[in-house]
Amino acid sequence: MRRRLTLPALTVGALVASLFVAVSPAAAHGYISSPPSRQANCASGAVSGCGDIVYEPQSVEAPKGSMQCNGGGSRFAVLNDNSKGWPAASAGQSVTFNWVLTARHSTSTWEYFIGNTLLASFNDGGAQPGATKSHTVSMRGFTGRQTVLARWNIADTAMAFYACVDLNIGGGGGTTPPTTPPTTPPTTTPPTTPPTTTPPATGTWRAGTAYVPGNVVTYNGASYTCRQAHTALTGWEPPNVPALWTRN
Amino acid sequence: MDAKLAVRAALVLILLVSGCGSQPETGTPAPAPASTGTSPNATSSTGTASTGTSSSATSFNATSFNGTDVMYLQMGIAQIAEGSQVVALATERATDPRVRALAAELAAQWREELGTMQRWLTGWSRPLTAPTGSHEGHGELHMLRPSDIGELRAATGETFDRTAVSLLLGHLGNVVETARMESAGGAYPPVKSFAETVTIRRQAQIQRLLAVAAEP
Repeated sequence: MRRRLTLPALTVGALVASLFVAVSPAAAHGYISSPPSRQANCASGAVSGCGDIVYEPQSVEAPKGSMQCNGGGSRFAVLNDNSKGWPAASAGQSVTFNWVLTARHSTSTWEYFIGNTLLASFNDGGAQPGATKSHTVSMRGFTGRQTVLARWNIADTAMAFYACVDLNIGGGGGTTPPTTPPTTPPTTTPPTTPPTTTPPATGTWRAGTAYVPGNVVTYNGASYTCRQAHTALTGWEPPNVPALWTRN
Repeated sequence: MDAKLAVRAALVLILLVSGCGSQPETGTPAPAPASTGTSPNATSSTGTASTGTSSSATSFNATSFNGTDVMYLQMGIAQIAEGSQVVALATERATDPRVRALAAELAAQWREELGTMQRWLTGWSRPLTAPTGSHEGHGELHMLRPSDIGELRAATGETFDRTAVSLLLGHLGNVVETARMESAGGAYPPVKSFAETVTIRRQAQIQRLLAVAAEP
């Protein structure tokens, strides 16, 4: 019995191996979760109409050396669209970027840019990242709304992973929405979708809106004040989440 | 003569008993393969005598499931085993109640999903683990390593929460990719629809984790 099973088992094994190559999804590996990168804002639902990136924010992989948010590949061009109303996270002069990794590649460097200015480069010398990866980067005097481009350069392939993070630098928190237009985009791709406005942080409570402490919303006729910064989700309606909202 | 018969009877009995024993008896009302037309129970009940000929295995294979289905279930089971280590720690030790609640929810869903996935493979007489070497080319890069779990175990306070959220986000990202691979390349409709459910569940959990991670 055992012998007879051997052949089919091997065949299935080979079939499985060959199928994996055929149907394997794009090899996916990592993105910045905090402050949220553009792909994280797509995957979290904070920004809609992003396309397939919502399933694989970790897949923005392209040959090294690009200055575009999508790495210059054919996929995920939506990430280059500066008119898409990306929320900008409030930040000080020093920002800690946290990565989510779905595969822990040996790494040559991690690089951070604003425009063509290299803010910081971290050399891992081919080491594999640990359970978490974060870098604290100085904004070098940049203020206002800025887009940081991060590149994760893999040591043993020609590829890198790209993530753009929109920041409002120097605001020191608070409720100020970004008003300055984005600085010179590092990309030449023309925006194709019409701009969506960032939803207001006051008024009627809405899923997908980023709220900060002090924001006042109404929900089902009652008024609530935000207690901690978050992006609202369905199921997190103010009366359901006392940790986030106090009834006025 | 009698002795030989007794030995044969004993062998048959052992086979039957082990066959039954390998069907997990959980009470989950999940879409079990036994309820479908191409019931794998039919093969096991037609018995020990005729199993294993390659022709019958092939025709069964061709009409119901394919290699992607098998690989998906095997990978899914392995992913649940890995992720459960993070979930067990997070359920107990995360300081953010949202993270604890999400970990507990995952634990419950994974228990149910694991039973369903195991029943399909068992019904198809396929191993619950992938053949050795099937990860060649991936270098185990997509797996949670013992050192990752060690880092989480050693972390405290806010670092613990941040590490747990990062590990869960990465792991669930891989789970979604595997499920989408099944949706694209699988053949057995109940497994494909199961994978759709898994994608929807994990996506919603990723959204909640990203919202937690995005807080300054």
